[in-house]
Amino acid sequence: MSELSNVAGAGQSVPADLREEVLSASTTNAGGGGFDFENHHRNARIAAELAKSGKEGTLPRAKLTGTTICGCIYKGGVVLGADTRATGGTEVVDKNCEKIHYLAPNIYCCGAGTAADTEKTTEMISGQLDLLRLSTGTQSRVVTACTMLKRMLFRYQGYVSAALVLGGVDVTGPHLYNIYPHGSSDKLPYLTMGSGSLAAMSVFETGFKEDMEEAEAVELVKQAIMAGVFNDLGSGSNVDVTVIRPGGETAIFRGLEKPNEVSELRKTVERPAAIKVPKGATEILASKFQPLSSLVTVEDAPQPMEI
Amino acid sequence: MSSTGAGYDLSATTFSPDGKIFQVEYATKAVENSGTAMGVRCKDGVLLAVEKLLISKMLVAGSNRRVHGVSKHVGMAVAGLSADARQIVYRGRDEVAGYIENYGSQMPPSMLADRLAQYVHYFTLHGSLRPFGASVLVAGYDVELKKHELYVVEPSGVMYRYFGAAVGKGRQAAKTEMEKLKFDDMTCKEAMKQVCKILHVLHDEAKDKPFELEMSWVCEESGWKYQAVPQAQVKEAEEWAKESIESDEMDDDED
Amino acid sequence: MDIATQQEYPGLKDGEISTGTTIMAVQYDGGVIMGADSRTSTGTYVANRVSDKITSLHDHIYACRSGSAADTQAITDYVRYFLASHSVELGRLPLVKTAAKMARGLCYNNKDRLLAGMIIAGWDPVDGGTVYEIPLGGTMMKQKFAIGGSGSTYIYGHVDAAFKENMTKEEAQQFVRKAISHAMARDGSSGGVIRMVVIDKTGVSCEYIPGDQLPFGP
Repeated sequence: MSELSNVAGAGQSVPADLREEVLSASTTNAGGGGFDFENHHRNARIAAELAKSGKEGTLPRAKLTGTTICGCIYKGGVVLGADTRATGGTEVVDKNCEKIHYLAPNIYCCGAGTAADTEKTTEMISGQLDLLRLSTGTQSRVVTACTMLKRMLFRYQGYVSAALVLGGVDVTGPHLYNIYPHGSSDKLPYLTMGSGSLAAMSVFETGFKEDMEEAEAVELVKQAIMAGVFNDLGSGSNVDVTVIRPGGETAIFRGLEKPNEVSELRKTVERPAAIKVPKGATEILASKFQPLSSLVTVEDAPQPMEI
Repeated sequence: MSSTGAGYDLSATTFSPDGKIFQVEYATKAVENSGTAMGVRCKDGVLLAVEKLLISKMLVAGSNRRVHGVSKHVGMAVAGLSADARQIVYRGRDEVAGYIENYGSQMPPSMLADRLAQYVHYFTLHGSLRPFGASVLVAGYDVELKKHELYVVEPSGVMYRYFGAAVGKGRQAAKTEMEKLKFDDMTCKEAMKQVCKILHVLHDEAKDKPFELEMSWVCEESGWKYQAVPQAQVKEAEEWAKESIESDEMDDDED
Repeated sequence: MDIATQQEYPGLKDGEISTGTTIMAVQYDGGVIMGADSRTSTGTYVANRVSDKITSLHDHIYACRSGSAADTQAITDYVRYFLASHSVELGRLPLVKTAAKMARGLCYNNKDRLLAGMIIAGWDPVDGGTVYEIPLGGTMMKQKFAIGGSGSTYIYGHVDAAFKENMTKEEAQQFVRKAISHAMARDGSSGGVIRMVVIDKTGVSCEYIPGDQLPFGP
């Protein structure tokens, strides 16, 4: 993943002053992980060389989550939803990836954008929230997570491409935030993100009601994601849903809906025998055995001195 | 207790066994050797007055001033080592200038006094520093609250708000005299005569060096601006004070 | 906040959320009224149709935001923090001028990195109801009324003609309502509802006019 994330900025040019800033910022994270733009210039040069030799496009592309993610608030709780397709260029590189990330026991976060960035960003903030919980002895709040995320993303001036839907339940009730890669945020009762957000939003705009029951909200979120899965090229495969209930208790429905299940179909396909290599098909030409004891000398263990 | 030595007076970072910081006390002593500085809060403003002792007859009149302007509405009178005091005055000027730059309004005197106290206190906390051998009287007008105030910042880094304050050689006697008068009901002009008289009474012509009287105020008459009291008025007050002292002495002789 | 493409606003980065906007604030007899539309957009997509661009800075001081959402949110976050600690040290309500100075400082010193046009307004015990405008370069101007954002260009003539000094609260509300609804009608990047904040010595009251009840429609 880190290899991919290093290539992430290859297409863009990072201004020198920002790069300095980001580099110095990353040194403060030394040891604790964080973002490093060290390979950016190297990658840019490789890209330029390739372009010169007419081999442009052979450089590996970052894994992007052309995505549909969404969330909605229901009576006292929050439902988050996501598709499971990850793409690299026009190719599907993962048919069943996870886009709903853990931040705290009562807070989850859907991520769209560069997979490596959403993954790392949520992981880092999750760690900070964990430490904060240990030092304060209180439950994490959704605003806290939102503030931490937007500050971090603002600091990286949009070069960390993570578009997030943050949801959770804390002592002040259910909350749902949108956080954009440049570090701005919105607070709304229902929202969508990613390339499939337009399709998903159309479902919410027609179907959303205030104070829905959990089942109703889950169904609406499912339908919204399905709209993305079927109508957006960047989204596909299955529907993941995470529910955060009024007390902060969570339920994770991984693969709640699998409209693109193909294993049954696959089973019906007869595989050519050539790819089923029988045991012992590789011929042994010679073998030799040498006991290890002939290569080492064993000495007595040192004994304690008599006093 | 031996107040000197025993190793506890070498640095401001060390407490003595009975909880004193000798370096700070010595700094306070430095202030006590200085010419008296007085400040009084009257009903229409604040008045500062300093008995500036002259080390030489060759000094140009009006040099080595002991009252300083800090901003449009704030001024300071200083006592103690004037070189140390100058640092505090300069700091005060930086503080008010910075405040206006950052917040767009005049710094309240209360906040200035607090910031100066913090600054002075810092010098009592580090082994590589020595405390200031100076106290400052801060006279100011709070533009937003429309209130005039008098503060004293001491070498220990504490700050007090006063109706009337005196520091330097004659402070004890000055305080006793001040307590007899009701400055709160007086105008600055009236108070000026009394303050002049107190400073002249305290000054021992025989023992003390000759002095120059410096006065400044922030009052209604000056449009709540900090400024030096016009020379004519100082002279007038001094003449009144001298006459008053003489007549008091004559009354005493008659008794 | 409105649809802004990179060509129209060179300062906006690709895909950045923009507050292509209509915002305004007016001084009236006793206080100020601030108003804004509620549209936030990314490119040609309305990212939020009910956003709140009038952000609280202190008890009696608010800011109208236009430009990059990320930049203006970061600025108001800083000013809110600075103002809170300043008023604690001061022991009284901060001045609107102080809030504006703080915002000005951030906007001016980082002008090459920010896309933020703001109006700071509110009430304080010294100057009463006050309006400050901080446009793109980071200059700070005291105004009797101020308009800003992409939608404001459509209503300069109207506000110049309709503004009166020492309006009553009702007159001022009417002034804001009318100006913003006209801007929303002409500016594609402004829309949704009108949000208004009324600030005087007694405190703050917020209200909104639904998009289907505007005094002037498209």
